[in-house]
Amino acid sequence: MATAMPTLRRNWLVTMRAYQWTYFVGTLATGILTVGLAYLAYHSIGGGRAGGGFAAAAGTADYLGYVTVGAAASMFTVRMVLWVAKAQITEQREGTLESQVLAPARRLPYLVGVGLQSLTTTVVEVVVMLAFAVMIGVRLPAPDPVTLLAAFVAASVAVFGISVPLSAIMITAGEAHITQNTLFVAMGLLCGFTFPPAYLPDPLRWLGEALPVTSALRALRAATLDHAPLSAAAPDLLLCLALGLAYLIVGLRLLGPAERVAIQRGGSA
Amino acid sequence: MIVTRELRKTYPAKRTLFRRSGGTETRAVDGLSLSIPPGAVTGLLGLNGAGKTTTIKIIATLLHPTTGTITVDGLDVVRDARAVRRRINLIAGGERMVYARLTGRENLWYFGQLYDVPRATLRARIDELLELVGLPDAADTLVERYSRGMRQRLSIARGLINQPAYLLLDEPTLGLDAPIARDLRAVVARLAQEGVGVLLTSHYLAEVEELCGHVYVIDRGRLVAEGSPTALTAGTRLPHTVELTLAEAAPAVSVAVGALGAEVETGLDAEGRPTYVLRSPDDLAGELATAVVRAGGAIVRLEVNPPTLEDAILAMAAPAPVS
Repeated sequence: MATAMPTLRRNWLVTMRAYQWTYFVGTLATGILTVGLAYLAYHSIGGGRAGGGFAAAAGTADYLGYVTVGAAASMFTVRMVLWVAKAQITEQREGTLESQVLAPARRLPYLVGVGLQSLTTTVVEVVVMLAFAVMIGVRLPAPDPVTLLAAFVAASVAVFGISVPLSAIMITAGEAHITQNTLFVAMGLLCGFTFPPAYLPDPLRWLGEALPVTSALRALRAATLDHAPLSAAAPDLLLCLALGLAYLIVGLRLLGPAERVAIQRGGSA
Repeated sequence: MIVTRELRKTYPAKRTLFRRSGGTETRAVDGLSLSIPPGAVTGLLGLNGAGKTTTIKIIATLLHPTTGTITVDGLDVVRDARAVRRRINLIAGGERMVYARLTGRENLWYFGQLYDVPRATLRARIDELLELVGLPDAADTLVERYSRGMRQRLSIARGLINQPAYLLLDEPTLGLDAPIARDLRAVVARLAQEGVGVLLTSHYLAEVEELCGHVYVIDRGRLVAEGSPTALTAGTRLPHTVELTLAEAAPAVSVAVGALGAEVETGLDAEGRPTYVLRSPDDLAGELATAVVRAGGAIVRLEVNPPTLEDAILAMAAPAPVS
């Protein structure tokens, strides 16, 4: 934590000076738009009812609740990936990667510090988005608090874990936009943020299962929409944690060589 | 002591996504063996592309060598990188290495945390370093509002935040105003006196001559010479230049000057007075003055220009192959 907390503080100082309110508006607007559009489609096109096929595929007939949880998870995922995965390439662009690597501090607590910033920001943003959802008439059932907490922790590990190898890819490739947007598109299609993955062909469904966000979403929905006890959500929680930790370990092993590639590319004389 | 043995670094040919660029691999460092003792400033010189920055980055643990070993007080820079990082720091000129949207004080605080400097001493050390680099009044100003020189000074303070046992300086005075550069040289000399081992690369060779007791000269990654700046300059046998102006022409003087055996150019200055320029591997100023006076000449001006370290480096660097 000796590195994590100073990094959290540094990031807050930089963020508040660089972006102020615009930093929060972008992600929040995406979440609100997702829920708002789902609400309009549900009432204007669906006549206030989801088809039977949806209930069978999603495990719930509550379409708006399903999308609201998905939108909250999406906000959290995008925020975490954008900050944790881009932390090192941002250092590189700002000319501070070498001074960062030169210090004896380990990468994991440094990235945890960046992740904590995403986490605190997302909590506030999700509360605002949920308030909007309630305001437009989405009914959110009381969640099982223990399952919700466990799902939140597992989802945090999962998204953090997947961000670390992505960070290595970004600094190796020397670019962020193609890498991050490819992941966002893949996750949007495969993980079930706004529609059940059961609608997908089997190969894509299995591909989605390789991303820990998919099982994290199932656990979050079980906690919030189904009021499921911890034991019922445990298989998804364990899968999510195992995948997240696997990505994290691979990412941490890739990060050192990736940093050297980035520094080497910076100058070879 | 920092010791490198048979250090080599090869950069592979560049690749695009689908194919190699067709270029060949580049050998940036080629069998370099150096020793950087504590308590002294050691110079590393060479022309652009000689491999100085790559060498420094390898010693700083930022890059891995292709082959060869580097130890810092017995610690291997690849295997024991984290322990080595606690003992060293790097200051590179012309690079930012500090956060633009933090103040100078916040930058030093953050890096102090990364180096695990105890909180009890960090505040005092930050104040001391800000004073040292002349930034106490700008301590709470955002770095994005600093001039280039101020950023460089902050980068120097960052490089000293962990009180390194070894300091790697890669063009540290690049972009600094002359008084600040002079102050930095004084700081480097003082650090060396206090026991810090310093490795310095600089294009300002007067700086190297002033600070370094021992200098390594490299060319295309290979060591071509080493020694004190004086010994290196003397070793090249480059000519000393002596410029002489007489009050009036005297044939006996021309004969006496010619007898010294040096390469001689004669001419007239703006006021029509005879001038002689002598080039010789030895300093002929004393012999020349004696010979001129004995021949009845009246000396108006006598200027001696010994070869500089810069002349020596240029002479040692073989011309690059034409490709």
